Amino acid sequence: MNVLAIVLVVVLVAFTIGLSIFSRRFTRTTADFYLAGRKVGSFANASAISGDYLSAASFLGVAGAIYASGLDGVWFAAGFAGGFMVVIIFIASALRRFGEYTIPDFAFGRFGSHRIRLVAVLCVLITCFFYMAPQMFGSGTTWRVLVGQGIFGMDPYNSGVVVVTVVMMFYVAMGGMKGTTLNQIFQFWWLWFAMFLVVAFAFGGGFNYQDALKRASGSPIINTKKMTVGELTKVNPATGKAPIDSARKIMAEHSDPADLAKVEAAIAAGDPAAKVNVALPSKNKLHETREMLLNEPGHRYNAFDQFSMVLALVLGTAGLPHILNRYYTNPSGSAARRSTFWVLVFIGTFYIMTPIAGIAGLHAIKAAVAAGNAPATADYVNGLLIRPDAVMPTLGRLLGGEFLMGVVAAGAFAAMFSTIGGLLIAASASIGHDVYEKYINPGASEAKKVFVGKTSVIIISLISLLIGLGIPYLGLDQAYPALIAMMVTWAFSVSASAFVPMLLAGIWWKGATERGAIAGMVVGLTSSISVIVLNILQQLGHVGKEGLVGFLGSLTFPVLFTFPLGLLTIIVVSKLDGQLPKNVDEIWMRIHGTAHERYERDHGLDKVGGLLKSK
Amino acid sequence: MTSQDYESGTINGVKYVKYGDHIDTVETVDAVFHEQRKLSFAYGFVFFAVTLAIPALTVTSEWWYAGTGKGFTPNWMVVSLLYYVFLWVMAWMYSKQADSLDERLNKMADKAEADLTAREGAQA
Repeated sequence: MNVLAIVLVVVLVAFTIGLSIFSRRFTRTTADFYLAGRKVGSFANASAISGDYLSAASFLGVAGAIYASGLDGVWFAAGFAGGFMVVIIFIASALRRFGEYTIPDFAFGRFGSHRIRLVAVLCVLITCFFYMAPQMFGSGTTWRVLVGQGIFGMDPYNSGVVVVTVVMMFYVAMGGMKGTTLNQIFQFWWLWFAMFLVVAFAFGGGFNYQDALKRASGSPIINTKKMTVGELTKVNPATGKAPIDSARKIMAEHSDPADLAKVEAAIAAGDPAAKVNVALPSKNKLHETREMLLNEPGHRYNAFDQFSMVLALVLGTAGLPHILNRYYTNPSGSAARRSTFWVLVFIGTFYIMTPIAGIAGLHAIKAAVAAGNAPATADYVNGLLIRPDAVMPTLGRLLGGEFLMGVVAAGAFAAMFSTIGGLLIAASASIGHDVYEKYINPGASEAKKVFVGKTSVIIISLISLLIGLGIPYLGLDQAYPALIAMMVTWAFSVSASAFVPMLLAGIWWKGATERGAIAGMVVGLTSSISVIVLNILQQLGHVGKEGLVGFLGSLTFPVLFTFPLGLLTIIVVSKLDGQLPKNVDEIWMRIHGTAHERYERDHGLDKVGGLLKSK
Repeated sequence: MTSQDYESGTINGVKYVKYGDHIDTVETVDAVFHEQRKLSFAYGFVFFAVTLAIPALTVTSEWWYAGTGKGFTPNWMVVSLLYYVFLWVMAWMYSKQADSLDERLNKMADKAEADLTAREGAQA
């Protein structure tokens, strides 16, 4: 157990809870609870949006993806950042001008029907749960690496999931958006400096980025995996070979002989359920005749997925409910754009550091395994981590001992806390504000509305807990390398397909109708989820690779099909329908007009009022 | 701010919405919308052209993805560093242009509002 690391995490948790209790006095109305009183300044909002956005996927997953896949992993970072350009260009100021609280509010205000609000609520909840899953998985894996043992009779993974859920449930319900915003600002800068320290320690220790990348790219990537003996020895009827054949070849050439001896001993023991760590050859999915080198593309994505992944990441950001909700907290449209610019600077500098950390991880961990001093908190084969998501804490331990591992571990928890906080606020706003306040008890007092918001936070937290506990039973962590980043990209695919066509059409096309928007959201949502489920089933071996189903299952990211499908559905159904809201001109004037901004300018309401004030 | 804070109506056949003491008309908003659309779609085109050019080169150009053998391929260099510089420059330029467009459009809306108020006064 890493005592210093645990102390740092406990300090982070205590500070987080303290900040929530402190900010409680500033949360009296629903505008305070969901929107921090709409008076968050550009720098504070940019820091909070960055904290909201940089999740376990960015802090643990991107470095892990680069560590395992090289260039295809680097795209995660660039794509995550690029998404904010779509937000700033097409969405941010229109959304802020339109006002309201949530995306379902926008859908209701723009298209004028209750059913579209409810469809949007459903989409928000599904997107939030898709995004919550990797945060929960990250909680468990980070706890496993950091603490290494469970509490109250649970295993380390389950302990991490439970502890993070309980902390989050408490602090979001307590502090609302103001408390969450204050926490996200603090948490973002913690994880930014944690990444900075790792990179600084690496360079301080003589790490040469270009030289390390060149050496790592000198021979093909070797995949690592934990497999059962049954899977390892199962012969593929088409090729007549089993995975063990190629594993033997690779491990005999590159691994410590003890690694291969362990595999052979497990096979000889004859238990098909016994798990072993193996090294396997990689294949270039993009340029099939080339060897798969780290500084070249193709380890994860074929030509289709190269485009689809980019689109998933850049479009998905513009549909993430917890990010878009933050735009309502800006005091003006101009402030919303300024916030986005600073977000790009903050997360851009963070993402520039992640490939350096990933390559430093390859360099340092391989050397540590060879020297026999690699941390015992992770599994290795062939000098590589079995779980690439563990690269950040393992690298922290190697470069800066318990201190740096503690800073990194606290950074990982900060990343999870800040994103889970935003998701809980967004999901609870959908239940508390969009359903309860609008349909169940419209005349509720402010205190009652805030109480329902807090209750929603608890319910969403408990559902997320069940999702987090269920992930290992599905075997997803073995089906996908760097699962955290992968699961986040699924959430991006769902939001890009369900929300972005509706938002773009709603903002930029007056002819979009309510039926068209509903049809687009439903088609985008169901098609993206269907392809993701097929892909998972195919990876787990339940769906073949033949025919249309096989092709759809082979799509890692469905966005190249599902985003245009959603948009096209809106256009076609709207044209056929032709039933524009009766007050469409009025709605249009609210989205693109400037009356309220001029009013706020004249009355000084476009100025930042300070987070620590209550209305 | 919610839809309840707006008033709407028609003066001399001109539809308007009113927020506090400020008015937007369909004509001024259409002018705002067209200018904003021109700006947003121009930037959007450049953004998507550059962003999608990267995977296009990744699929087609060996020089781009295999590079010179010195570690950093052009593909790696762009995706890990230069793409962010491109984003920062784009976001900064867009923000500045959108701010000055807002200012110009606000003045235009103020003028249209004054004209409409004068017409309303004359009608009364």
